[in-house]
Amino acid sequence: MVNSTDTAFEKLVRPHFERLYRLAWRLTSQKAEAEDLFQELLIKAYGKLDDLVRIDAPGPWLARMMYNLFIDERRRHARRRLHTVNEGDLAGQGLDDLPGTDSPDWNNERRERIRTLHAALLRLSDEHRLIVLLHDTEGYKLDEIHDLTGVPIGTVKSRLHRARARLREILGENGTFSADPSC
Amino acid sequence: MQNENSQFEDQDDREIAALLKDYPMPQASADFFDRALVRATHEGSRRQRNRWLMTGFGSAVAAGLVLWMVGGFLLSSQDLPGVDPAVDSTIPGVTIALEEPHTVKLVFASVEALDTATLTVLLPEGIEISGFPGQREVTWETSLRAGKNLLPLKLIATSPYGGEVLATLRHDDRGRTFRLRVDVG
Repeated sequence: MVNSTDTAFEKLVRPHFERLYRLAWRLTSQKAEAEDLFQELLIKAYGKLDDLVRIDAPGPWLARMMYNLFIDERRRHARRRLHTVNEGDLAGQGLDDLPGTDSPDWNNERRERIRTLHAALLRLSDEHRLIVLLHDTEGYKLDEIHDLTGVPIGTVKSRLHRARARLREILGENGTFSADPSC
Repeated sequence: MQNENSQFEDQDDREIAALLKDYPMPQASADFFDRALVRATHEGSRRQRNRWLMTGFGSAVAAGLVLWMVGGFLLSSQDLPGVDPAVDSTIPGVTIALEEPHTVKLVFASVEALDTATLTVLLPEGIEISGFPGQREVTWETSLRAGKNLLPLKLIATSPYGGEVLATLRHDDRGRTFRLRVDVG
């Protein structure tokens, strides 16, 4: 049954669903994990409805909460499990879940380029991949990334630059990009 | 690309950024948001109800728990250091809120002082000791005074499943295991 509290909650959070969902995906790189993270965020935010109604900009507040949930979970995960991943197995992982890649306007060349980019992104460190995706793909501004992650803007800038350079280097290895090794 | 970047971007940066702009944006399936919202309000309401219950009865429950544990451990450990390896057949329990630190007081009673006892706490998945994130087993050496020894354990539930916390006190080749059921509500 829908009550007034639930209605108020939905009114506050629903406008931010698309952006938060994309953030969850960019953080986790996996659909199932992204949806778990999104779900956990909503449950936690519901418990903080009193705070939520007083906040001028719920979007960034929710995004920060999601980021913190992700970081907490990643720390626990890192301590509990040690596993190795064959980088070759990562190529194409998750790409089929992305929307539109089977669309008719995606020619083979474009699909292959994105697949290669996807595999290259997965070879970046988590910090570099997140920053480059948030900034260059999702359109977050530097100060928004700073607000979200707490990383100083100067560090965000340098990480972004290094992430692009590393990405260019990886793509250059397979001829996708005519990388200049000095980058 | 945004003007804010022009001062630190070079041509290579711009080429990579252009490539990344073409990277697909993930979108949720049609009814995912509705389902997530329903689950969040149901689960959120349940946790709130539990929190209110705990607020109302928390003090009484906590006091009762500590007293029970004192009594239980006094009875079961009165023969320390000649500790009985048997495990208590009844298990005290506590309900804690998700991701909210909750201090549980374990009381160990010993008939004489022990200098080199080892205490090992085994935690179920999703229950942590504050200050030891991600660790399922925490061991340290301790000394026990004759009489009651109070050990406050600040527990944090990181998942809603709960489980059983085992605290094993060992001295020489003898030991006793105390069990505490932790529910998350």
